[in-house]
Amino acid sequence: MSDRAPTAAVRLAAWRGPLVWLALLLALAFGMPTLEPVLRGIESDTRQVVYAQAGLPSLLANHLLVVGVASLLAVALGVGAAVLVTRPAGRDFLPLVAQFASMGQTFPPVAVLALAVPVLGFGTWPIIVALLLYGLLPIVRNTLAGLEGIDPGVQEAARGMGMGGAQRLWQVELPLAAPVILAGIRTSVTVNIATAALGATVGASNLGAPIISGIVNGNTAYVLQGAVLIGLLALTVDSAFARLTPARG
Amino acid sequence: MTRRDALPVNRVVPALSLAAAAAWLALASVSVAPNRIVPGTAYAASELLGWPLAGVACLPLLGLAALAWRPHRGRLRLALALNLLLLMALPAWVALAGALRLDPDQPQARLGLGPAVWLLLFCLVLLTIELRTRLALPAWSGWLLPVPILGAWVLAAPWLGSLALWQEYRGRSGQFAEALLDHLLLVGSAVGASLVLGAAIALAMRRDARLERLGFTLLNFLQTIPSLALFGLLLAPLAWLSARLDWLAALGVSGIGWAPAFLALLGYSLLPMVRNTFVALAEVDPGVLESARGMGMGPGQVFWQVRLPLALPVVLEGVRITTVQAIGLTAVAALIGAGGLGTFIFQGLGQAAMDLVLLGALPILAMALVADALLGALTRRLDHRTALRQGVTP
Amino acid sequence: MIELLGVTKRFGEETAVDAISLTVEKGELCALVGTSGCGKSTTLRMINRLIEHDGGEIHIDGQPIREFDGRLLRRRIGYAIQSTGLFPHWTVARNIGLVPRLLKWPKARVRARVEELMALLGLPVEQFADKYPEQLSGGQAQRVGVARALAADPDILLMDEPFGALDPITRETLQVELRELQARLHKTIVFVTHDMDEALALADRLAVMRAGRIVQQGTPLALLREPADDFVASLLGGDERGLKEAAITRVGERMLPLSPRLLPQARVHRDATLRQALSVMFREHADRLAVVDDEAMAVGELSLRRLVGAGRDE
Repeated sequence: MSDRAPTAAVRLAAWRGPLVWLALLLALAFGMPTLEPVLRGIESDTRQVVYAQAGLPSLLANHLLVVGVASLLAVALGVGAAVLVTRPAGRDFLPLVAQFASMGQTFPPVAVLALAVPVLGFGTWPIIVALLLYGLLPIVRNTLAGLEGIDPGVQEAARGMGMGGAQRLWQVELPLAAPVILAGIRTSVTVNIATAALGATVGASNLGAPIISGIVNGNTAYVLQGAVLIGLLALTVDSAFARLTPARG
Repeated sequence: MTRRDALPVNRVVPALSLAAAAAWLALASVSVAPNRIVPGTAYAASELLGWPLAGVACLPLLGLAALAWRPHRGRLRLALALNLLLLMALPAWVALAGALRLDPDQPQARLGLGPAVWLLLFCLVLLTIELRTRLALPAWSGWLLPVPILGAWVLAAPWLGSLALWQEYRGRSGQFAEALLDHLLLVGSAVGASLVLGAAIALAMRRDARLERLGFTLLNFLQTIPSLALFGLLLAPLAWLSARLDWLAALGVSGIGWAPAFLALLGYSLLPMVRNTFVALAEVDPGVLESARGMGMGPGQVFWQVRLPLALPVVLEGVRITTVQAIGLTAVAALIGAGGLGTFIFQGLGQAAMDLVLLGALPILAMALVADALLGALTRRLDHRTALRQGVTP
Repeated sequence: MIELLGVTKRFGEETAVDAISLTVEKGELCALVGTSGCGKSTTLRMINRLIEHDGGEIHIDGQPIREFDGRLLRRRIGYAIQSTGLFPHWTVARNIGLVPRLLKWPKARVRARVEELMALLGLPVEQFADKYPEQLSGGQAQRVGVARALAADPDILLMDEPFGALDPITRETLQVELRELQARLHKTIVFVTHDMDEALALADRLAVMRAGRIVQQGTPLALLREPADDFVASLLGGDERGLKEAAITRVGERMLPLSPRLLPQARVHRDATLRQALSVMFREHADRLAVVDDEAMAVGELSLRRLVGAGRDE
């Protein structure tokens, strides 16, 4: 094991995968109009082949904003809730929260999104709330698993050495549970990217919009644009998470 | 070693019952609309019954909280019974509210369920789960407890005719049955095909390490692509193929419809299936296999009598994950014309008819929960070794 | 000095520790022994308030421990456990420096102390300081665990089967090292074990526990010679008790001064145990041994009668 700090170049090289996906994503989002001849070849019958209701970059930005806000809130609330129910003060709630988090993951995200609409209404905030609620579950579940999975000997030693509750949490429990928590966040974000796209069916203006519009109008070129961009976005984010998760063992 | 006094105060039950009581008092129980188009008027319990009576109706919830304050088995059992009664009273309450506010001269009038009813249902179900856990009731009680609750809704059905959800159903009961069947068929065929194909791939992977790496990379990649995007990506090539190849078109393959849905579902299902089958075959304790061979069992006997029975629970776990996932994804497939219950969801969202959305979403939710419970129970039954390993996202 | 006065602990209906009283003098190593579930670990963990006692009093240097803040109390008491409890995400050096850092020692002092302790426990700094616990062998990890317990130089050390998970050879090495360490440091140690040989080898005082009570306490010799009941007798080895006693008695304590008689050929070191001397007699078919010192000079002799304690007047 070499403990020398890797040079900037080496560190950058490790991020090659995510960076390549990101470059492709941005290139396509901004450069789609230049691909018009290609798209014309796919869909020759229609006048419009480049989705123009809203610029692709702004759709991408919207998509990212919704997923980003929902995921950040989900991480804060989910990790917070899981930490709370594993403290002595909240232990009472642990069995219920654990059961609900694992049961809730069987709820299909579409169904959750669909059920959220009648309660919350249409628009950006309702989608964010729906994504947040659904995104909480894998995070809560994995945080619980990570915290409960810590070697009891380590916990005992931390207490026995005279560490306080907050010291144990920040210096021992969270660092040790981090890989499992990160895996939960990864699942959560991946699902959210996909579910947010479905938000286009309830009028959200994001990368799902070209797909829905393309399906409705029979314009395969639209569908392709939306699909490729969402796919690239998912791959960018997922490969970035794969970098963050240390390969253990 | 847990440090607990003999009678720890249970704060979960009071918290949930107080939340339920707050929802009951503050939020609308039902909404009444003269027809499908006009938005309804919402009524809270206090508006329907008057404050004093609505307050009195809270007492059972407060009773629940009190019972859990100094709990022991007897009191918790009593609380569970009370909780079940409350769940069974819910349909009666909806029927009563309807009778109070619906104009008998308006047969088109529709009764919608308000947030109070949904929240009550949610809190009471959570209470049931909590009490069941605290009482450490056996697993089969999970199947028994919903029976009286569903029974109560069925019994109340004659008085719930104006329930909007019910009206939506009555208007398209034929379509509903067809959509349900389509949904089940699509899920069943995708899971079935992925089981066969997944087992084959897993067996091939065990023979070739390069294939293993390649296969997992590919399947992980596929799993990352959002469903809507994958459906969309399959649309173009399939449309192109069916335009060129007549026999494919004759089979009903086209850019939209069941073909892209089936292919996408199969793709998504392969990862959990292959992963679990692979792990199941790889993780059989080598000591067990060694001793089986040592006792003089032949390769066939080892596979059928040792390897397979030990691997089966893990494979079934893969089937469970795949099925639950496919039920949800099939709903999305409605967007590309694959049919299924998702149709109602997207129709309903398009028409801003929320009860139609419910007609699609509720059965999907129920289906996912039942599939999860059934396959989970089956897995536990087959898995004699340990209490089922909780499948945490890797 | 640690005093337990009528200490009781209940878990629900069950009484885990039942009104036990025990005094551990300063600089003394007291072993708590007994079968699993007898309450010995619970007793240990009440001393640093990892578990709060329900009844009775626990005093440290005359002061009731309830008067201390639990965390501050634990920082002044060393604690080593069987599973080591080393933090897997920290290096060896960081693990050892935990309590000094909690006590907000200056960085340089922490580093110096860590290096001092690593040297004390035979862990070369340049080789081990930056290793992670998963890279250590069981014996090395346990050494780090002991070093961590000693880091803030506590007067009191609590050890819960620290060597229980090690192979017999490593365990014996660490026992010897602990004895040497204790001869230098004179800590007040409470040591929980179910290994009777370990307890006899290390302890100045033994307390035998059964079902939450102390059945008997005293020096190892006193217990071996006069076990209070059959339980203690069988725990101490039943009919092999004699050999255990022989194993903790030195030849030097029993030998006779040199006599004008011819010295026997077979010899044994003065610091060897009577058990080893017996083994030499058995092997050499001799009933008399010459006792020698470090320079192999004869300093006395030991007969079989004398060894077994019968012939004082020979």
